[in-house]
Amino acid sequence: MSSSTSVGTDEHPAVVLTGITKRFPGVVANSDVHLTVRRGEVHALCGENGAGKSTLMKILYGMQPPDEGTIEVNGEQVRFRTPSDAIKAGIGMVHQHFMLADNLTVQENVVLGAEALHGIGKKARARIIELSGRTGLNVDPGVLVEQLGVADRQRVEILKVLYRGAKVIILDEPTAVLVPQEVSELFDTVRGMQEQGYTFLFISHKLDEVRAIADSVTVIRRGTTVGSADPKTVSSRQLAEMMVGSELPSPETRESTVTDTVVLDVKGLKLMTPDGSRPILDDVDMVVRSGEVVGIAGVEGNGQTELVETIMGMRKAGSGTITLQDQDITKLGTLARREAGIGYVPEDRHRHGLLLTQPLWYNRILGYQTRKPTSKGIWLDTDGAKKDTERIVADFDVRTPGIDVPAAALSGGNQQKLVVGRELSGDPVLLIASHPTRGVDVGAQALIWDEIKRARAAGLAVLLISADLDELIGLSDTIKVMLRGRLVADADPNTVTPEDLGSAMTGAGATSASVQETGTAHGTAVVEEGEN
Amino acid sequence: MISTMEEKPHVPAAPRKRKVPGWAVAMLGVAGAIALLSITSYQTGFPQLTSSGTTQTAVRLALPILLAGLGGLWAERAGVVNIGLEGMMIMGTWGAAWAGYQWGPWAALVAAVVFGSLGGLLHAIATVTFGVNHIVSGVAINLLGAGLTKYLSTLIFLPLSNNPRQSPPVQSFDTFSVAGLGDWLGELESGQRLFISDVAGILRGLVTGVSPLTMIAILLLPLSYYLLWRTRFGLRLRSVGENPHAADSLGVKVYFHKYVAVIVSGGLAGLGGAALVLNPGQLSYLEGQTGGRGYIGLAAMIFGNWRPGGLLGGAALFGYADGLQLRSGGETVLALVYGVVLLLAVIVVWQLIRRKWFSAAAAIVVAVLMYLLYISLDEIPSEFVSYAPHMVTLAVLAVASQRLRMPAADGLVYRRG
Repeated sequence: MSSSTSVGTDEHPAVVLTGITKRFPGVVANSDVHLTVRRGEVHALCGENGAGKSTLMKILYGMQPPDEGTIEVNGEQVRFRTPSDAIKAGIGMVHQHFMLADNLTVQENVVLGAEALHGIGKKARARIIELSGRTGLNVDPGVLVEQLGVADRQRVEILKVLYRGAKVIILDEPTAVLVPQEVSELFDTVRGMQEQGYTFLFISHKLDEVRAIADSVTVIRRGTTVGSADPKTVSSRQLAEMMVGSELPSPETRESTVTDTVVLDVKGLKLMTPDGSRPILDDVDMVVRSGEVVGIAGVEGNGQTELVETIMGMRKAGSGTITLQDQDITKLGTLARREAGIGYVPEDRHRHGLLLTQPLWYNRILGYQTRKPTSKGIWLDTDGAKKDTERIVADFDVRTPGIDVPAAALSGGNQQKLVVGRELSGDPVLLIASHPTRGVDVGAQALIWDEIKRARAAGLAVLLISADLDELIGLSDTIKVMLRGRLVADADPNTVTPEDLGSAMTGAGATSASVQETGTAHGTAVVEEGEN
Repeated sequence: MISTMEEKPHVPAAPRKRKVPGWAVAMLGVAGAIALLSITSYQTGFPQLTSSGTTQTAVRLALPILLAGLGGLWAERAGVVNIGLEGMMIMGTWGAAWAGYQWGPWAALVAAVVFGSLGGLLHAIATVTFGVNHIVSGVAINLLGAGLTKYLSTLIFLPLSNNPRQSPPVQSFDTFSVAGLGDWLGELESGQRLFISDVAGILRGLVTGVSPLTMIAILLLPLSYYLLWRTRFGLRLRSVGENPHAADSLGVKVYFHKYVAVIVSGGLAGLGGAALVLNPGQLSYLEGQTGGRGYIGLAAMIFGNWRPGGLLGGAALFGYADGLQLRSGGETVLALVYGVVLLLAVIVVWQLIRRKWFSAAAAIVVAVLMYLLYISLDEIPSEFVSYAPHMVTLAVLAVASQRLRMPAADGLVYRRG
């Protein structure tokens, strides 16, 4: 099937990076990095967020030139000026954030920029169908990308790279967006392609995954390579210590602080799609008590976002009631709900959490425009807002040159700390946290976890939605599994494993005693009920 | 090789609905529109609704809108909102008149394209290179177009025509008609038979007095479709409008494609201006001649969901409304109100079948109001009639803009890196 099947012979390695150094104004992103990738292996590159993995890969992919050091591909020294030079040398990159145009078809996305190979018509289509088997993609090339799920989009990204004839494929944090089952499918694809002679550079900070898939590991810390390891013998703990240089934070909460006081009571909540054809939320019943963290697990797109937005009043429920501390808030607007004591960490801080171009203290006012300390009567209290922003910056360790810089100037982790700090202001009784640590570094993650734990111990009720199952299991007192708009199972965070949860999330049913199905049955029965 | 694939629970892509092909929908739409007009003209006793004269005027008036809309299509498919079409069109009218009175209609076309393209180039420099907000730049170009042509007219046309607002007359194109077919259709049209006469009237209007510019404009439509949807260049251009970052990561020259698109857009708008100047009823440059047709072209394109076929429908609709009011005045426009009532009745039935109670109720209310308007008036006041196309624009956009899908990166400033 493939011309090159030799693995580990004494030919030249696929890629050798020697002494790569890259400086940006004020920062050294990479200093003296050495990396050797043998042909036909899966080579993992591990490091914390901000350790310089991405910069290194941008250099290898020709998006940025190195200040010092050399790149060798198949034993020949090369100099990439643009990604197309790297593509010509057989290197392809699958970006963490998909680079796809939703409104174009799979075929159009794949052939874009490589039309010279097989045109854009029938020949291209035939080649795509031939290649898609290797990636496990099973859709017609004429389908719009917006109709595909996350896993299939990733396959389209891999397909793009294959179509251009890449032999060395860089996967940048490929599992960040996948559930465990999809991860193992991806790994099957990677292994299958490895047998056909492809070489993979696998970038990740998830150590279990690295140990499961990689043939060798290089660890990078603060911009430089700190060593290599054999994934067969090294433990996750050892790898983690190489990565961080110190101990890892953990999301786990030890003693239970759950009380009997019901804070949020959701009964029979329903929400239909805008065209009324099918329910997004179907009869959701849920209780969150004071001092309790209720985690919602689910594959993205199964109604978690809509559940949160309905509780926040951003969507109007079809039927059902939402009660907050004995007050019926079903008919209230979003601002009134916030004033009633709900704090909200939105899943996309750029779209819903912050005004990126506005200063930090201005962002502090958002959602608190009617309350102290950011307002006095009908006037905004800018002095109060600034003072309280200083408090958040200090208490939540927001690393910023000042409170007058725009929010966009902060890193993702610091933006999120600001949002969490703001939402925990004004003594909320309920915190809704959607993916509170998505895309933030380990330090910020630890701080956000600590703050949630502290608030929980002080009696805050927390509704947690997260795709990071370790976070969900570690923080939650109760886990509910959401599938096609219904809460289909409860799981005990003390005993459940991410794999069990993952299987319940995809509707494969309970595989462990820790996951208790609720309602009549799972799978088809759920769907039938939903249509009545 | 990937043996485990079949066993794993696979989250399937949403099943695709079986689609009726686009051309079939278009044919049905055309047939429905003709049927509606023919019933209306029969019921109200106004054969002008579907007469060949009305159709001919409608085609003439639809041309500038069609060309401006095509211009909008090119720019917006590449992600640049072109509200400056109006200004580029004004530049086109001046260019067409300036070259036209000296060297004839073909030179007028070339000059109009060049002048429009210059406006497009300016828009591209502002929005693509300097990252100016697209609306701000577009409005500036509209003001600039009006101001510049006023200045140039005073400078160049005043000594020749003794009027700073008008150019000397421009030589027109020779028009041609399909001789035998036209006569035969004329007989059918005068027969006053339901539907057949109406179809004959419309067809006769389409094949009588055709100018080369009409042919060019009609050919530009499929040509644009072919270029944008069937070629490598078009794929790259559209990808730039959908996700420029992705396009850039694949080696597509984003700035280059945006520049080409906006310049072509300006050229097409300029050609739309030429269509106004070379309109047989006018044949000269007049200040304020475009009368917002650049905006209406943009509206036609939005109505057409950023697709050439829909754009043609939008342009035809606005051209028809304009042609009708110009040719036969208030009474017939009132007859059109009756047609709208009929259309609303169809919509009500459709919404009831789909169990959309609110939409159905809203449609009933509007239908009753329109019907009351129809029976209480003898004719629409003439002051109001000349705004018929604008009213149609408003109404159509308000109804149609619910399910539209614009290019994802339309109007966003792209910065490399």
